[in-house]
Amino acid sequence: MTDDKDVLRDVWFGRIPTCFTLYQDEITEREAEPYYLLLPRISYLTLVTDKVKKHFQKVMRQEEVNEIWFEYEGTPLKWHYPIGLLFDLHASNTALPWSITVHFKNFPEKDLLHCHSKDVIEAHFMASIKEADALKHKSQVINEMQKKDHKQLWMGLQNDKFEQFWAINRKLMEYPTEDSGFRYIPFRIYQATTERPFIQKLFRPIASGGQMHTLGDLLKDVCPSAVDHEGGDLRFFTHCMDIAMCSHRIYHLDKR
Amino acid sequence: MAGEKDFFLEEKRFKQYCEEFIKHSQQIADGWEWRTNKDLGDGYLSKTHFQVRNRSIPPDLKEKCSDNIEQPLPTHAEEFLDDSQVAGVCATEEVIRYEYHVLYSSSYQVPVLYFRACFLDGRPLTLDEIWRSVHACYQDRLQEGPWDTITQQEHPLLGQPFFVLHPCRTNEFISSILTSSWKFNRHTNYIILWLSTVGPVVGLNLPLSYATLAHEQNTNTDSVERPLS
Repeated sequence: MTDDKDVLRDVWFGRIPTCFTLYQDEITEREAEPYYLLLPRISYLTLVTDKVKKHFQKVMRQEEVNEIWFEYEGTPLKWHYPIGLLFDLHASNTALPWSITVHFKNFPEKDLLHCHSKDVIEAHFMASIKEADALKHKSQVINEMQKKDHKQLWMGLQNDKFEQFWAINRKLMEYPTEDSGFRYIPFRIYQATTERPFIQKLFRPIASGGQMHTLGDLLKDVCPSAVDHEGGDLRFFTHCMDIAMCSHRIYHLDKR
Repeated sequence: MAGEKDFFLEEKRFKQYCEEFIKHSQQIADGWEWRTNKDLGDGYLSKTHFQVRNRSIPPDLKEKCSDNIEQPLPTHAEEFLDDSQVAGVCATEEVIRYEYHVLYSSSYQVPVLYFRACFLDGRPLTLDEIWRSVHACYQDRLQEGPWDTITQQEHPLLGQPFFVLHPCRTNEFISSILTSSWKFNRHTNYIILWLSTVGPVVGLNLPLSYATLAHEQNTNTDSVERPLS
C-alpha cells in the first residue's frame, strides 16, 4: 500500500479547471462575469461551489435566487456524482477549461436530487462508503468504527485533507492476512448514453482457481458485449485514463 | 437476538418470491407488474396508483377564506370545491400519482423500496407531503421503525430521483419474523412479509389476501424453505 501512496496522492489532488457562467435567462441587476475555479475530481459540485454561488448572487436580487444547479451543454449535472466522473462522462473530449452553466431557477425535478444543505452531501457520501464496506467486509469494518471516525472521513473530504482522510480510510482498504482480498470489489461502470445510469454487480477479486482477477476479467464478466472486438468502439476510462485490456491487478485506488 | 442466522436473500430467491407475488396480484387485480431492464435482465416489481386526496389550502389562504366566504379564491382552488366551504374551511381535491418499485440490492442482499409521488401536472410531492398523507397510526412507526432514514436517491435503473427506505437494517426485523414462521414449518414469501411491514408507512397497502399465499404454498411438497447462510 505504501508504494501506491504516490498514486493515491495523484488521485486525491486531481483538479479540473472550470469556467462557471450564469445562464442567460437568469434575471440580474448587472452583467454577470464568469467565475473560474479548479475543481477537485474526488469531491462533489455542491460541496465546492460556495464561492461560485456567492459570486453570482452578488448581481442578483435575493428573490431570484433558489436552489443552485449546474448544467453542461443542456445536460443537468448530477451533484451526487464525483466531479471527475461527471467530467469523464460528459466532457472528456473537449478542451479545457470545462464550461459549466449555473442556474437558480426551474430546478429539473425529474433529473436531479435536491441538495438543500451540506448534511445531504454528507449523508450521501457516507451511504456510499457504507455500501462499499458491505461489499468488502460485510460492513464489519465500518460498523466497528466510532462516529468520530466516520466524521473524520467526511471532514477530510470536505476540507481537502489527504492525511486526515486516509488515516481512517486505510482501515477500510485492508483485509485480514488469511484472506487474499475483499469479499467483493465495489465498482460501478457508468455510461452516458444509456437510461440505466451504471452497472454494478457482485464480483470477487479471486477466481475459483485461486488466481487474482484482472480488470479485464471484470469488464468481460460485467459487460461482455462491450469487450467483444466486433462490439464497436466503447472505451473505458478511470480518472480520465484510458484503460487497455491487459493483465494488471485490480487496484483499489478509489476511496470506495 | 442470539442463535439466529442471517437471512440474506439471494437474487434468485428474490425473483422467485416476486414471481409468486405477481401471480397473486394478477388474481386479485392489485396492479403490480414485473419490469425488466433489456440490457442486463435485471428486474423489479412496479405499481402505480392514483389517489384523490382532500387537501386544505395553505394557512395564509385559509385565513382569507374563513374571514369572508364571498372572497374569490385563487385560480388553482376554484375547482373541486366541496360542501365544507359552508363551514368556513376551504378544501381542494387533488389527484396524486404514486409509484412504488421493489428492487434487489446485491450489496445488502435485501429488497429495497423506491417510491415517488406527483400531481397530475408533473409537480413532485416532497417527502413531507407524502408523509402527511400517511395514516396517523403509522406516523409513530416512522420514528421507531427498523430503518435508518428515508432519503432521496437516484433510481439505479431509471436514473431519476426517488425516495428510498434505507436497506441496511432490513435484515434485523426480517430475521426475527422468519425464524418464528419456520418453527411452524411455513413457507413464507419474504417479499410479502417485508412489504406488508414497510409499505403502509409510505402509503402502500397490501390487501390481506396476500397472507393466504402462504396457506396455498403449504400444500406444495417441493417448496421447503431452508435458511440461507
